[in-house]
Amino acid sequence: MSLRERLGKEWLFCDGGTGTILQEKGLKGGELPETWNLTRRDDIKDVARSYFEAGCNIVNTNTFGANSFKYDNVAEVVTAAVKICQEARHEAGRDGDAYVAIDIGPTGKLLAPMGDLAFNDAVRVFSEMIKAGAEAGGDLVLIETMSDSYEAKAAVIAAHETCDLPVIVTTVYDESGKLLTGGSIEGTVAMLEGLKVDAIGVNCGFGPDKMIPIVKRLAACCSLPIVVNPNAGLPRTEGGRTVFDVGPEEFSSIMKEIAGLGVHVMGGCCGTTPAHMAALIKEVSPLPFAEPVKKHGTYVTSFSECVEIGPKPVIIGERINPTGKKRFKQALRDNDVDYILTEGLKQEESGAHILDVNVGLPEIDEPAMMENIVFKLQSVTSLPLQLDTTDIEALERGMRIYNGKPMINSVNGKREVIEAVMPLVAKYGGVLVGLPLDEDGIPETSDGRIAVAKKIYEAADEYGISRDDIVIDGLAMTVSSDSTSAIVTLDTVRRIRDEFNGHSILGVSNISFGLPARELITAHFLTMAMQNGLSCAIINPCNDHMMASYRSYCALMNKDPQCLNFINAYSEYKSDGTFGGATAGASGAASSASTGSSKLSLSEAIERGVTGRAAEAMEEGIAQGGEPLEMINAELIPALDKVGKGFEKGTVFLPQLLMSADAAKAAFEVVKKAMAGKPRQVKGKVILATVKGDIHDIGKNIVKVMLENYGYDVIDLGKDVAPETIVDAAIKDDVKVVGLSALMTTTVVSMEETIKLLRMKKPDTKVVVGGAVMTQEYADQIGADAYSKDAMQTVRYCDEVFGVQS
Amino acid sequence: MPLGVTIPENEVRRYMGYRGPVETSPETDAMVKKAVSSLEKDCSPKYVAREFPVSVSSSSVRIADVTIESRALARNLTGCTCCVLFAATAGPSCDMLVKRAAVTSSAYASCCQAAGAAAIEAYCDMINENIKNEYGAKGLFARPRFSPGYGDLSIEHQKDWFRLLDVTKNTGIELTDSLLMVPTKSVTAVIGFSPNKLPCIKQGCELCTMSATCAFSRKE
Repeated sequence: MSLRERLGKEWLFCDGGTGTILQEKGLKGGELPETWNLTRRDDIKDVARSYFEAGCNIVNTNTFGANSFKYDNVAEVVTAAVKICQEARHEAGRDGDAYVAIDIGPTGKLLAPMGDLAFNDAVRVFSEMIKAGAEAGGDLVLIETMSDSYEAKAAVIAAHETCDLPVIVTTVYDESGKLLTGGSIEGTVAMLEGLKVDAIGVNCGFGPDKMIPIVKRLAACCSLPIVVNPNAGLPRTEGGRTVFDVGPEEFSSIMKEIAGLGVHVMGGCCGTTPAHMAALIKEVSPLPFAEPVKKHGTYVTSFSECVEIGPKPVIIGERINPTGKKRFKQALRDNDVDYILTEGLKQEESGAHILDVNVGLPEIDEPAMMENIVFKLQSVTSLPLQLDTTDIEALERGMRIYNGKPMINSVNGKREVIEAVMPLVAKYGGVLVGLPLDEDGIPETSDGRIAVAKKIYEAADEYGISRDDIVIDGLAMTVSSDSTSAIVTLDTVRRIRDEFNGHSILGVSNISFGLPARELITAHFLTMAMQNGLSCAIINPCNDHMMASYRSYCALMNKDPQCLNFINAYSEYKSDGTFGGATAGASGAASSASTGSSKLSLSEAIERGVTGRAAEAMEEGIAQGGEPLEMINAELIPALDKVGKGFEKGTVFLPQLLMSADAAKAAFEVVKKAMAGKPRQVKGKVILATVKGDIHDIGKNIVKVMLENYGYDVIDLGKDVAPETIVDAAIKDDVKVVGLSALMTTTVVSMEETIKLLRMKKPDTKVVVGGAVMTQEYADQIGADAYSKDAMQTVRYCDEVFGVQS
Repeated sequence: MPLGVTIPENEVRRYMGYRGPVETSPETDAMVKKAVSSLEKDCSPKYVAREFPVSVSSSSVRIADVTIESRALARNLTGCTCCVLFAATAGPSCDMLVKRAAVTSSAYASCCQAAGAAAIEAYCDMINENIKNEYGAKGLFARPRFSPGYGDLSIEHQKDWFRLLDVTKNTGIELTDSLLMVPTKSVTAVIGFSPNKLPCIKQGCELCTMSATCAFSRKE
């Protein structure tokens, strides 16, 4: 019988530890254990055979770390491991009922944005291992000891794209039930179920006793077979050796208890031996077996957050969307990522649970933009995202690199759209928004919409997507053009709940197009929709009326225990309609902390670093007919200069300089908004990059802010940038100045390489360098044109090169 | 997960670049407090520590199977019979906090950066103190902790720390090809133990090869 037929139908047993046994056989600390597949074949075979003989059904190949970061001959090492394991199984007489698992451990590298390994590179590294293992005849892929769900996702995608073998994933949680990267049990399960693995579990970390609470939570949310492979207790050092204290008897008696919690596959990890497994199998196999039970939760997740749809309405922020927004379109055209991220962070602070991401504009490369914005957003916010696009390539690229289980907006009843979108959801997982419209257009009645919704549910069945992962849109239409439209929408929302036991969503703001005081009608409509069972509201969470409607509804409907959220939000509410502390505004500095700032002039606000007032003063100036450029030259730049000079003299410290820079940036943002779509005046273009191998970018980012404030157009290539990328960018835009940053002596080498390559291919470009280890001598030594000890010096240097008077 | 130790605000200000007895503005103070409280609340600190035998000559040190050429470390460990290697991190949330702050405010980003540096130092001080007490009970005296990349102890030896302690698996810290640690707020170090109490030896900025140019040196 195949493993897939047996998983979840009967007790199955994994093997125990390998590393600890190999250490006893003489494996040295730091020696790569997989090399023994080629040099000490018999020792490896002995270990595997002893597990088959102990009665284990699933025995791992010795390939945990056999990846291309550690081996040049991955295929050879993996193929040998599979063959050894197969021979061991044959010798143990277990060919009929035991399986060889291609064992996949973490790469040892952290994935970007946290680390420096790109997601798709991780997929490639895992694919190489899995391909070799599958071709050699492995029976399943066992991805284990994952402490980052993102890396687990890369390994699962690699497995599914390489072979059709069953895939089991086990991860390592700490005692609070969190992954090293912050992910929860429920979130990890949701993501892995979405990726359609065959079984999910937990391994390593600690002994079986401490796994009990984790297994309970796992069993409460997981619909797939559950795997539990603990250590033989916590590791301890004794005379330089690692030892484990839980013996076979104790191990198996606790595992017997765990067996009753609703698990299906059991085995061991570090410190467990064939004796542990034999004892475990003896204890557990006579016990009654319960098949996995389908759970009905709907979860949207990020790497650390897990939002459940159903218990109370979920707020989805609508502001990352260019429709009708000049400034946002400009940001997309200029690749002004920070502007887009700021829109996201503002919504998070206003109370959004999920952020909708729509970056579609005809004249840009939407797939690249979607991938980049998803990646950048996930670098700064842990809110889950809703990928909102009609471009299938953009959708796939976003879903692939998304860290977690996203929401997808959207599919509809058109066959062509179902066939494009649903396979992606089936592959990558996601909660899918279904619009009840089809080839015949938008049905005018709720009957019509419910009929299309039914069609969408049935299509989901066809593609193996759980109905729990479908959210139907009630289609909010403009009430000013059809007075019955709100009623039809509300009816649809209610019937999705009542007739399908399903979830619903609305783009709430659509209701009020063409009306004055839009927020009044929209907020009331939101309340009515929630009362009719609305699960997800796509709204502007920065609008006080909308959040007032949401918070009031939750307080009134027993979805806000002791009205705590309501009280927190409105403790400073004034009855004249001002909302007090309800919305905190943009994230970051204590810009609003300063009292009595309302009368400051633009230059005073910048000197004192009062961000909010600086923006306001600029707005007032423009409203009074002031010429933005004139205000920049007469007030903003001189104020910034005064602070800059103080910094150079040592009377002003870095934080004050930066607060002024932030204030100036905020004032500039007002100008950008006013001039969106019009050409800008710039002093010149400057490239900034943190060199290859270096991941520190705070210094570089400070230089960027200062240069932009002084009127330079900065091409920010980011961190860990290869010399070729920098040179290509310099050639492409004929850039006169390149600024390079490096923090450590080990990365100054790449700085030198970059300078050499620039000299060769773009000799007229000047190079200015900076960073913690940099000195004038060092800069001279590596051939830089200039050394800047701080951001102000970089500005001065650029002014000099571009011939600007200062 | 909370950090478990208090982050000293004066250290945060030092890492931010303040020198001498400066009056900081209320805005700056508020920013420092905000960064410190988010870090104390949201850190996910982890560490691993293990004892190894040590032998010392005049210019090199042998720990487990590694020979380390470093006069400064040899001086630090003279007379030690064993040592504890450790690796500690404030966790990934700290880096994310800095990145997030950088989107809207470079001032707050530099403040979070400084708070993160102070956080990992405070966390290491706590680990150091615990280890010191544990060995103190056995009648052994601790030397000041010493890190790869410091003085003439080559940063290349990060690789040995990572191998001997299985740092990545135990703490989630990755060592990049260019020998940087991610999360960035991470530290590796060795603490030597000797049966004899030595007079306080020179440590800190005075010993560091970068002290002449370092902006954060405690020289003032």
